[in-house]
Amino acid sequence: MRTARLYLRLLGAHFRALLEYEADFLILALATVLMQVVNLVFLAALFARVPVLNGWTFWSMVLMFGTVTLAEGVGSLFFEGMWNLAWQINRGELDYFLVRPYPVALQSSSAAVGINGLSNIVVGGLMIGTGLAHVDVVWTPWRVALGVLLLISSVVIKLSISLATNAASFWLSSPTPLFAFAMHQVGDLARFPLSIYPMALKAVLGVALPFAFISFFPVAYLLDTGQSRWVGLLTPLVAAYCAGTAAFIFKRGLRRYESAGN
Amino acid sequence: MRAYRALARATARSALTYRLNLLLGLGTVFVQLVALLAVWRVILAQSSVNGFTWPQMRVYLLVAFAAGTVVSAFGDFRMAFRILDGDVALDLVKPVDYQKARFAETIGGLWIEVLLIGVVVGVTLAVTGGVRTPAGPALALFVVSMLLLVPLKFLIVYGSTLLCFWTQNFIGVQWARLAVMNLLSGALIPLAYLPGWLATVAQWSPFAGLTSTPALIFLGRVDVRHGLTLVAVQLGWVLLLWFGARLMWRAGLRRLTVNGG
Repeated sequence: MRTARLYLRLLGAHFRALLEYEADFLILALATVLMQVVNLVFLAALFARVPVLNGWTFWSMVLMFGTVTLAEGVGSLFFEGMWNLAWQINRGELDYFLVRPYPVALQSSSAAVGINGLSNIVVGGLMIGTGLAHVDVVWTPWRVALGVLLLISSVVIKLSISLATNAASFWLSSPTPLFAFAMHQVGDLARFPLSIYPMALKAVLGVALPFAFISFFPVAYLLDTGQSRWVGLLTPLVAAYCAGTAAFIFKRGLRRYESAGN
Repeated sequence: MRAYRALARATARSALTYRLNLLLGLGTVFVQLVALLAVWRVILAQSSVNGFTWPQMRVYLLVAFAAGTVVSAFGDFRMAFRILDGDVALDLVKPVDYQKARFAETIGGLWIEVLLIGVVVGVTLAVTGGVRTPAGPALALFVVSMLLLVPLKFLIVYGSTLLCFWTQNFIGVQWARLAVMNLLSGALIPLAYLPGWLATVAQWSPFAGLTSTPALIFLGRVDVRHGLTLVAVQLGWVLLLWFGARLMWRAGLRRLTVNGG
């Protein structure tokens, strides 16, 4: 509890700083909304001519894009600092974090606020909402609870992959998170149904870097779409595995950390 | 002229030194190519849609990839930060024209980008099968269109970066530009798929010249006469944006405040 409260206070400091730059916030918000609108126009134009893509309809695709957008939004708004880890290591800024009585990973991830995350959460939420309204799923209390669990798991997987790939900076010692960014780009492939890709890509996105568990597998299970639906039920387990692995990698990396010296 | 040549060489050298950054900058374009190839391969496996067959769509997406790759060695980030933190003042005292200097830098990195495009296009065609090149006149028109694409894309990127004089924020402007370019150029989906009014707007916008025009000419989806019109539109936009950007630069300089000395 104390950890969460302190986390919000740490973020709050950066948030207040950001509010000083209203125009910045507006430009970023508009730009991210525009990006999602372009995605939607693309999907709408595509599905106006073809009814289904490997069993996926327009609305189920919107649902998938929405989940990715929401997960990325949560990452930017609450955990943007992760992307500064490479810089923090390179500059020796972790020295300060290490002497404070608070988890180092959380101090690092709270070191910045990506205000564009706010608009991504809103737009992602809207996409999920309208997507769900247009697909026929019989909603029982158990299914609603499962849906919420799957969504939370998706977000955890997204955050864990970001933390793990950024923690690679402990070994790579570059001042910019090139590796993490490259992996994030690869993850963009998982916006589309995994079934359209060749086997090698399926293995990468399903197992090595489980981006497919952020949207494809859970949504496929929830909507009963495509083959091997049951895999979606594994999402919470994958989330636990990813979180554990990310924490482990971060811890091992932290042991390698040597200050930049003064 | 010598100064511009030196700038061009310097960009190529810096692109080669920071080659990982260059490749990473192209990651998004490459990922989009892979994803869209996979999507269209599934969709067009049964029948053609909107008159596009799978071999045609493949070529279309490769042209989009090429268009997305050129002009990426141009340091729009560097230019933006120099404007934002005032280092641009140093550029003002140099005895070269600012816009021409940036264009020279763009040209300097071009050969590296063309090499990369060659590799990706070669591998893709080797894996998915060959391509039928159009007849002489159409091919010539395609080459002209691809050549015009370079200054056109440069001017769009350059002009949007000049907005930093007004916005004090670059990332947002860049994201918005990328999104609009992706849609209206036809890189994300051929303009023929868009709703009629949007397709018309896109067709006459400067963005169509960034993918749609060369791709349609190569595929022979427009005849040579129509192709000439489209290339003329491209050329018109290049001229208009070149002088428009100069006006913007002059207006931007009047807003520039540099603190300290």
